[in-house]
Amino acid sequence: MSTTTTRLPNRFHSAVESWRERFLPDYQFLIDNWEKYFPKDERFELVAHRECGMCGIIECGEEEGKPKYTKACDMKPQQASHLLGAVKAQASTEFGSIQQHQLTLARAQSEQDQFWVLRMMAEELRHGYQMLHLLLEDDWSNVSDQSGEEMVEEILQMRTGSHTLGAFNIDFDSFVDNIVFCALIDRVGKYQLTMQKVSAYQPMAESMPQMLREEAFHLATGVVPMRRWAEESAKGEPFVTMEILQKHINKWLPRGVEMFGDERGGGTNVRYGLKPMKNGEAQSDYYDECDKVVRDLNLRYIRARDEKLDHKAAREVLRRMTEGGETVDGVGRPEDLISTPDKRFFRRRGMHAWELVGADGETFEDVEEYIRHLVRNLPEQYTAGRDFKGYIDLLRKVHAGELDGGAASREMPNLRHVGGVCPCSKSVRWVQEDANGSVAV
Amino acid sequence: MKIRPVEDLDLEDIAAIDEKIGGTYRPDVWERRIVYYIRRDPEVSLVAEIDGSVVGFLLGEVRSGEFGLEEPTGWVEVLGVDPDHRGQSIGRRLAEEMWQRFRSRGAKTVRTMVDEGMPQVSGFFRALGFEPAPVTSLALHLDR
Ligand SMILES: CC(C)(COP(=O)(O)OP(=O)(O)OC[C@H]1O[C@@H](n2cnc3c(N)ncnc32)[C@H](O)[C@@H]1OP(=O)(O)O)[C@@H](O)C(=O)NCCC(=O)NCCS
Ligand SMILES: [Fe+2]
Ligand SMILES: [Fe+2]
Repeated sequence: MSTTTTRLPNRFHSAVESWRERFLPDYQFLIDNWEKYFPKDERFELVAHRECGMCGIIECGEEEGKPKYTKACDMKPQQASHLLGAVKAQASTEFGSIQQHQLTLARAQSEQDQFWVLRMMAEELRHGYQMLHLLLEDDWSNVSDQSGEEMVEEILQMRTGSHTLGAFNIDFDSFVDNIVFCALIDRVGKYQLTMQKVSAYQPMAESMPQMLREEAFHLATGVVPMRRWAEESAKGEPFVTMEILQKHINKWLPRGVEMFGDERGGGTNVRYGLKPMKNGEAQSDYYDECDKVVRDLNLRYIRARDEKLDHKAAREVLRRMTEGGETVDGVGRPEDLISTPDKRFFRRRGMHAWELVGADGETFEDVEEYIRHLVRNLPEQYTAGRDFKGYIDLLRKVHAGELDGGAASREMPNLRHVGGVCPCSKSVRWVQEDANGSVAV
Repeated sequence: MKIRPVEDLDLEDIAAIDEKIGGTYRPDVWERRIVYYIRRDPEVSLVAEIDGSVVGFLLGEVRSGEFGLEEPTGWVEVLGVDPDHRGQSIGRRLAEEMWQRFRSRGAKTVRTMVDEGMPQVSGFFRALGFEPAPVTSLALHLDR
């Protein structure tokens, strides 16, 4: 394994640094205290990494077996334009997620959790930088009227609230959002990066391995505090209880599921050799992984409730509680545990958009009753916010027959053009999302 | 059997194997350890999976500059195979895959330190071809 390291031309590098000073003001604190938390790790560096020695043959789709492309101008215009969309979307979400994390970073109760999130944010900045590197290294003029410089400028101007990709428009309300976002939304990122590792466009493929290595830590940055919170909750601590965890999982998982794009789509990416899996397949694996996280959180909870149980006994207790609906002495009631919300719960895009399906898969006839169910099952600060309001307005219209589901799904992002955290923010359109959807964090 | 890199989803399963070996459930210890290796290089630390369940793990990394050993060296530091799955070459297969990954990171030597009071572990490493190396482990007991 070896990688080559590149720095963007000076003016672009400085532009990213200026962006960092504004949106990641704790960066210097991270660097100054690096040794304390990561004594053996190399210092963070803002550079693009490209993996050497990767497979040079297209691995899927119509051109399987042919050599990979090293220049966008050699690709079919349709294919290159698909790819360009993916690179820009990827770049925007990397920068966008930093803006979201920054909102509540300071509220962490644990210094270590906060420091891990801060490192993760710096790595997201590097991921964005990596994508800018792809935009600047190649000539995209056959598929875009914008120069590389204009594309970079557009990306660096965007603000929270102007993304069209669901998860990146939702404000964080507490540090629980930082953590659950890492565990669930960065996990979508892992899938996208893994798929793009086989991209027919070699510079994209070569950009993935280092990003993926970093992504593995981002997932742990989410999962480890969640596990600790589950244990603390079992011991009666009043901070992040199982109920709060459940509500945040309910808030984010549907957005993660939707980031894979419509479950019936994704074929174009496969045909063009840009990704090896269709949306539905990748989404289903993703959902199973989230389910494993939830299961393990329950085990951790059960074991903290009754320390005499060993692993095997705890698994049996979990089975009795979840499958048998039993209350178990010394552990608790089934509703004390958490569960993975149904795939159709709280959806606004894809096959199950606007369906009235509850967290446990139960169906509702009446919209207002469904809304009350959502309010009971989502974090209070979230239901008081504008994303939820936008969703409810559209849900009511769809079920009153005033709007068809597809139009409502397309309308969700347009709501983002207003507002943003910064009053002077320009309402730039952030990314174009299509049926092939989805990007990584 | 499938050998693959360790990931956040393995935390509970590895803690469970350790519990089966040592009798104590120490999830926080394993979180700290595993996240360390994930952060350092998530592709070299491995788990073995049978029918979707983790049955063994091997954690290590390539470092240079330790104990004056300047060249990149693969360090194997933590391992465990589920007692119900021992003697099926799971440990060996994990190790062989790890050496491969060490090699691709420029390491020419693999090193480990074994407590001679754990004959099981030293027997395993000797079976894999490890020999005593001229770096002596010294200890000073500060509580005496
Ligand atoms: C050591 C250990 C990893 C071996 O796992 P395993 O999957 O059963 O080992 P394998 O089947 O792959 O055996 C590989 C070789 O090691 C040898 N070996 C394994 N256990 C041995 C033992 N106890 N004594 C001597 N040799 C042993 C085998 O004979 C085999 O040799 P071969 O391939 O030449 O026939 C496992 O016993 C274990 O997890 N022990 C506890 C480790 C521990 O305490 N970890 C916590 C501290 S880090
Ligand atoms: Fe990222
Ligand atoms: Fe990430």
